[in-house]
Amino acid sequence: MPNLTDLTGLASSASAIITALAMIPAVAQLPNKHLSATLSAAFVLVLLPFGELPLAGYLRGVTGDLSITTMVLLWHVLLKTSKLFVIDVQQRNELMMTVAGVALIFYPFALGISLEDPYRTGYGNPLLIVTLLVVALVATFRKSTLIALCTTLAVLAWSIGWYESTNLWDYLIDPFISIYAIWIFIAAKLKSRFSVSKQ
Amino acid sequence: MKITRHRLMLALISLAFGVAFYKASVIPEPAAFQWPAMELEQGNGAAQISSRFVSSSQNISTHAASLIELSDGRIRAFWFAGSREGAEDVEIRTAVLDPASNKWGNETAIADRHSTQQSLLRFVKKIGNPVPARLGDGTLQLFYVTVSVGGWAGSSITFMTSDDDGETWSPARRLVTSPFINISTLVKGTPFKYADGSLGLPVYHEFLGKFSELLRIAPGGDIIDKQRLSDGKLGIQPVILIKNPEQAMILMRHVGPAPKRVIAATTVNAGKRWNDPEKTELANPDAAITGVARTDGRLLVALNDTESNREVLSLVASNDGGASWQKVYTLEDQRSQTPSPASYIITAALLARETDNSILNPALFANTALDNQCSGEHCRFEFSYPYMIQAHNGEFHLVYTWNRSFIKHVRFTRAWLDQRMKANQHAQLD
Repeated sequence: MPNLTDLTGLASSASAIITALAMIPAVAQLPNKHLSATLSAAFVLVLLPFGELPLAGYLRGVTGDLSITTMVLLWHVLLKTSKLFVIDVQQRNELMMTVAGVALIFYPFALGISLEDPYRTGYGNPLLIVTLLVVALVATFRKSTLIALCTTLAVLAWSIGWYESTNLWDYLIDPFISIYAIWIFIAAKLKSRFSVSKQ
Repeated sequence: MKITRHRLMLALISLAFGVAFYKASVIPEPAAFQWPAMELEQGNGAAQISSRFVSSSQNISTHAASLIELSDGRIRAFWFAGSREGAEDVEIRTAVLDPASNKWGNETAIADRHSTQQSLLRFVKKIGNPVPARLGDGTLQLFYVTVSVGGWAGSSITFMTSDDDGETWSPARRLVTSPFINISTLVKGTPFKYADGSLGLPVYHEFLGKFSELLRIAPGGDIIDKQRLSDGKLGIQPVILIKNPEQAMILMRHVGPAPKRVIAATTVNAGKRWNDPEKTELANPDAAITGVARTDGRLLVALNDTESNREVLSLVASNDGGASWQKVYTLEDQRSQTPSPASYIITAALLARETDNSILNPALFANTALDNQCSGEHCRFEFSYPYMIQAHNGEFHLVYTWNRSFIKHVRFTRAWLDQRMKANQHAQLD
């Protein structure tokens, strides 16, 4: 009998696989009803054993469990056509800027650049939780709903032990969303520099 | 009343952070070290030392042994073995020593990559480095490393538990210890207990940096704290020597620039803060070390005490808390030997016979060593990855890799050690 955290972890990998599937032009152009049916079937299929493991298990071996922030963005892509979950570009850019900024500071220290390890604060450090509360409240009042939502869902998921990790940082960010966010940031900078030099 | 998105968000924030603050409030506070680690039986007995081979399988690669005392006084060993280190057929194996007869039982496999990936529900390419611990409720916990992608730098830590002293094991579970897709945490050093029953697990990283860390694990298996002991590329495979409830020394395998010396860090407040790591006088060729802190404060360490190879393995001791060290005994010394296969097999057979004079055909042991340690016309000896414990009766048990082919066990009494330490009181390190 699998643990609940294995099921949630596999579901995160399955979500990544079907999001990739949904972004294939031939699939994305399907009528809504067919698209939903295709993605639902694919979601079930990647969770069924294929050899020794489900397909999602092979991906999970490589990626680990994806952060809640990544999951929010993946499900935004999946639910985009249904209009259930709409994120405007500005909100997405604010989130990406925040993730990129945090990742650029967080990962070098977490991976051993000094004796100080910010990852340690993820094991229930009250200061980190207070900081995240302030971030969530400020984001809510500034109507940066996506930042508030990702922060709050990550904290909630950590609190109830959604994944096998007991570290809050694993719920907030992962390397994939970080690399994506840094790429968006760099691409935006290059684009603005390019457009300035053209003027 | 119309519930706005704004109010919904505030309600969600209240719920999430309310539960989070509650969860943070029940995480145990820092605790002192459990000291002494166990109550030793009185008496010193005769001054004795003996050796045996723990493993018996021929023609395979064998490495990274560890030990734990069982509730009935027997000693259980763990190691990994397969066609080569990192091969897909590597298994975690175990055997039990009957102290009365001084004989090891048959080796059995308890985990491989298939059983591990089915338990973890994720792809696993290879496994290694088993390290056992005993929890406060008597349960055995066996930590080992698993790799899904790449080499050992891609390792994560997995564990199983046993309620019957290692006869049967639970499905494997994963520890998440790193924010970068949980890769590059490995285990080698002996676990220890805190006074509140939580477990200390020395671990290390080998990804961008090579550094040591200390995990604190609650009885249920959840990590509740992690401390960094070194940074950059300095020291890995930490071993903790607990001197009393507040004081301890951590020794680390050297991985930094010359001179090649064992790296040490100390604490005087039960690990709330460790001082910056620095080099000791102990030579180390980038090879694993092991140690035990005696209840009288003396420290005993087994290591390859040269800068360039793993052909020498020694016992060294400190009477002053690690400030200075004296050599106590040379366990193996084949330095400066670059034998041809013909002379290697003769020496290896002699060493096998010296290890255990009851073995019927030492040439079989020598042949396996030849396969693992000779390349063309060049062979080398290797005695590495020591792991030492002290049992309740005061005896010391040390296991190490013998020429990447077998696990060798050396057993000695307190009286023998005291005798050696007295005889070598003024001995110098090489």
